[in-house]
Amino acid sequence: MTVTASTETTVSTGASQVSLVDLLDRLLGTGVVLAGDVVISLAGVDLVEIRLNALLTSVRADMARPGRRTP
Amino acid sequence: MSATARYVFAVARGLRAEDLTGTAGLHGAPLRVVEQGGLSAVVCDVDLAEFGEQPLIDNLEDLTWVERTARTHNEVVWRVAGCATCAPLRLVTVCSDDDSVRAKVDALRADLDEVLDRVEGRQEWSLKVLVPRRPAEELATAPSTMSGTDYLRRKREAAEQRRGQGEDAARAAHELDEVARAHAVASRRLAPQDPRLSGRSEAMVLNAAYLVQADAHEPFRTAVLTASERHRDVSVELDGPWPPYSFAVLG
Repeated sequence: MTVTASTETTVSTGASQVSLVDLLDRLLGTGVVLAGDVVISLAGVDLVEIRLNALLTSVRADMARPGRRTP
Repeated sequence: MSATARYVFAVARGLRAEDLTGTAGLHGAPLRVVEQGGLSAVVCDVDLAEFGEQPLIDNLEDLTWVERTARTHNEVVWRVAGCATCAPLRLVTVCSDDDSVRAKVDALRADLDEVLDRVEGRQEWSLKVLVPRRPAEELATAPSTMSGTDYLRRKREAAEQRRGQGEDAARAAHELDEVARAHAVASRRLAPQDPRLSGRSEAMVLNAAYLVQADAHEPFRTAVLTASERHRDVSVELDGPWPPYSFAVLG
């Protein structure tokens, strides 16, 4: 095989060093959806997905800002 | 003081209020337990000026706000999951008062029982397989003396190499997923993370979650790591154990 790309296997444990994107993977797409009184009047289940698109835009702006930690 | 509402982090079975001592909710608000029919909803008070409908629309656009809320949510869920069977709720579940929390727990009772049965004594692992994007540097550095035929041949070879690499990565992802599933009680595919959000240049070919029995964590971890040794051309990220977020989905 000719592929010589770098390789790594990482294992991490614990809540502290979790990246925001990994956190959102778990907190947005999943979990019990108990229709809260506030959120139910918004777009319901789709709320967070809609917002996430907007988030992408703000991430770009955020990362462009000097001194910010890259997620 | 403006009106408050209840932010609900999780619903748990077998939780005692004193288990939460030392952990705070959003903005340091004390955590409380709202009991209903043997289940415990873990809540804290939040200000409707921040968690009302219109403020939420704005706040969910603000990455700093989202991150702070998500981290607190996660810390509370970790705490609850560490001492009871825990069904985490999705981010920003807000109810108007304790009675509303009780009514909703009641209404979802059968589903909540099903979720809690599913995750009892189990935790979640995350497995990601990433493949580095190869820069097209060979062609870019091709000597200017190269003939048109040589150039086309090298271009074709590069395309074949890329295709081969994609097949290798898909095979690696498939095999790692099979090994992981063999040591898990359930699995779930998540969408590959958007490189813009993750800040990673590699292509994610697998983003999956596995529900693993408490006594099987070490065999699971060892099996996946051993399998990853056979696939040195991809990056493998194993993360866990997490509270069973991906398996607390109703229905």
